[in-house]
Amino acid sequence: MNARRLGLARLGQYAIVLVVAVTLNFALPRLMPGSPLALIAGVEAGEMTPEERAAVTADAGLDEPLVVQYLTYWKSILTLDFGYSFRQGTPIEELVLGRLPWTLLLTLTALAVSGTVGIALGAFSAWRRGSRWDVGSLSFMIALESTPQFWLGMLFIALFSVSLGWLPSFGATTAGADLSGLAWVADVAEHAALPVLTLSILSIPAVYMAMRYSTLSVLGEDYIRTAQAKGLRPRAVMMHHVVRTALLPVTTVLALRLGWAFGGTVVIETVFSYPGLGRLMYDAVSARDYPVMQGTFLVFTIAVLLANLLADSLYPRLDPRTRV
Amino acid sequence: MFERRITRTAVPALVLVVLILGACGSNGGTEDTGSSDAAGAATAETLRIGIMSEEGNLTPHTYATGFPGLNLTMLSYDSLMQADENGEPQPWLAETVESSPDGLTYTLGLADGVTWHDGEALTAEDVVFSVDYYKAGPPGRFATAMANVSQAVAQDESTVVLTLGVPDPSFEIRVLADVPILAEHVWSGITEPDLAPFDETTNIGSGPYRLVESDPGVSYSFEAHPEYFRGEPKVDELVVVQFADEAGATAALRSGEIDTMMRSISPEQIDVLRGAGSLDVVEAPEYTTTLLVFNTAVAPFDQAEFRRAVALAVDRQRLVDDVFLGAAVVGNAGWVHPSSQWYDESVETVYDPEAAARLLDDIGLTDSDSDGIRELDGASLSFELLVASNNALRMRLAELIGEQLGEVGIGVEVSSVEMQTLDDAVWPGYDVAQGRNYEMSMWGWSASSQADIGQMASLVSSDPAIGNLNVTGYADPETDALAVELDTELDPTARAEVADQLQQRIAEEVPFVSLLHPNGAYGYNPDVFGDWVSITGSGPMTKLSFIPDDGQP
Repeated sequence: MNARRLGLARLGQYAIVLVVAVTLNFALPRLMPGSPLALIAGVEAGEMTPEERAAVTADAGLDEPLVVQYLTYWKSILTLDFGYSFRQGTPIEELVLGRLPWTLLLTLTALAVSGTVGIALGAFSAWRRGSRWDVGSLSFMIALESTPQFWLGMLFIALFSVSLGWLPSFGATTAGADLSGLAWVADVAEHAALPVLTLSILSIPAVYMAMRYSTLSVLGEDYIRTAQAKGLRPRAVMMHHVVRTALLPVTTVLALRLGWAFGGTVVIETVFSYPGLGRLMYDAVSARDYPVMQGTFLVFTIAVLLANLLADSLYPRLDPRTRV
Repeated sequence: MFERRITRTAVPALVLVVLILGACGSNGGTEDTGSSDAAGAATAETLRIGIMSEEGNLTPHTYATGFPGLNLTMLSYDSLMQADENGEPQPWLAETVESSPDGLTYTLGLADGVTWHDGEALTAEDVVFSVDYYKAGPPGRFATAMANVSQAVAQDESTVVLTLGVPDPSFEIRVLADVPILAEHVWSGITEPDLAPFDETTNIGSGPYRLVESDPGVSYSFEAHPEYFRGEPKVDELVVVQFADEAGATAALRSGEIDTMMRSISPEQIDVLRGAGSLDVVEAPEYTTTLLVFNTAVAPFDQAEFRRAVALAVDRQRLVDDVFLGAAVVGNAGWVHPSSQWYDESVETVYDPEAAARLLDDIGLTDSDSDGIRELDGASLSFELLVASNNALRMRLAELIGEQLGEVGIGVEVSSVEMQTLDDAVWPGYDVAQGRNYEMSMWGWSASSQADIGQMASLVSSDPAIGNLNVTGYADPETDALAVELDTELDPTARAEVADQLQQRIAEEVPFVSLLHPNGAYGYNPDVFGDWVSITGSGPMTKLSFIPDDGQP
């Protein structure tokens, strides 16, 4: 099989996954018990006459057979017209695009921080395998890995906001402050500090573990022994031979996390009342706001698929051994 | 007007963390001795308010929740009448309100000098337009309210005559004191009011505040309307910020990032906040109800004796003491809150498990196999009690009720389910005519279900047109007759008599068990603002708190 045919086959696989995922995105909200009627009708659903209720349901297109609703959903995806939120009466694109930058600010910063720190610590730990440093940091990372996000978040709020008063505990900007320029940037940074810190710290262990393990396996390779035998200094062996190779599997981990970054982080965004996509999705699920649920799920689905595609295509470029 | 109070009580663990940390950090300052009289700064430049529910754009057609959404919306709008501190409708935009003896015609004389936020005068034409606009618009609270108004006519610049289809004794409280009046010059050009975006025209109302920034899900800013017809508002700017949960908002209140929140805090937080030094709590009884409901189609809930036994077996005082730490009022057997002017004192609320056991024995529900649970036709007398998983307090109530019923030999298995799932089981499609799909459930109605005594009929009537909130499916001809009377009696004295009879009937028949009414408890920073004005039963978080003393209704 040549490369082009392989590429096509892979794209085909992705297309199938996309169709299945989109179908699930459509089906899941409707399989859940509960109805979005209260949301569409406002809070007075119980006051309405049956005729009014029927009119409201029809207006939202929920009286159509499921097949018709499903086709309408596909049409909305292909025409990029996702309709309105039941709750807010706002176009879905506007809602999602309004929230996405805030989510990415948190998740991408945290990804960069945790990636850098995790890789450095993981490599160092492996290099000093069995040392007190290695055992200590490994145990610490395992503890960190099992720390609940909300718990650490609340702890930081109690410490940095309530007790010390250094950093804001909620939101993405100061409401009603009307800042611009550098003052605005500083305000955004201040508000992002605690969520990014929490998220970064808790994302380090996964990268650390991957890097440590991968470094250890590279260290056992023959060519490393060769490098050492030809008299290279340990630091040079580490930098030029070990780390570069060991990074390969870690890029896959990072690429996949990039996809997840678009889904936001429900827990962190909730603890810090941060206006991101994760919270939008969570609130939509709680309220059965079908259009918003479908919209956020779709963003998430596509991001994860693209990240997989990225990892798939990046890997052969980085590691010639996996080329076909 | 009912609305399900949408409570999203925070994940209990989160609350616990804040609590523990809070307790560690508190300096044990002097505690306010339970006084409900709030005190603090009487004016403020900026007041920052936390909310926890997702709201839409704050217009009469797009707000999302009854509380705090509608309360926030009404900061920018006014109704023809306004509930005063006692919850009584008083003249407001309409300076005079006269009804004809047959209750079919209301003549309203509008107050002078009322202007919209853009400076235009509010006239009788605006009132007529609002009536017609709501009636023609999408279904909703105000369309329903206006459905009974068959005609609205502007007699002159400041006089409106409303003609009703049928007489409605609750017309003043449910319609005149509820429906916001819209500016004709703004809304006449908007054909889809429920999709109206926020802009420089849709934020024009006549209320004490104008919404100047709106970012649903994030924050809102209101600016005082200096020309407000009842006097310049006490606070210049209100910034409303949205939190994801109560724990986050409480932390922000403690750190001084917000000054108050439009959410009653959980009982265990009351002393924590009061002990925090700089904060105080305004606490007042509220009409919000917490009920134990059951499906009267499921035997033996179809027997009044059995329902009475269930009510006798529940120790309401213990629920108030143990779960709400005293910050609640015991629910009355006759449904009406003791602070209400309609409350019938002669209705007694009794806890007597022995009497309950005797009643159960009398109707043949005995424990023949001595396993502690009685039997009905050989099968164990056991029920599933549903409770919403996002409401920690109600979950604790459910557990306690399960224990208490267990003591008289009724088995209860508590199932916590997600809120929407619960709604779907108890009140499918929000339409009682669609039946019900549960055995027992924890339930509750918002304060407005008590503020208007006419709502009592909607809880118990078996006619879905009147009993639109009858989620237990209870049906009794005598009760139905009383419900119709309550719905139509125009003479206030005679209506009070009917209300008394219906309360006695409810106490006897037990269509549901009214457990308790949680007190409203709102944390705030008295150094910033603390001149709260509470409306009996609905609390201090309304525009009355921001209107100067001489402008109060």
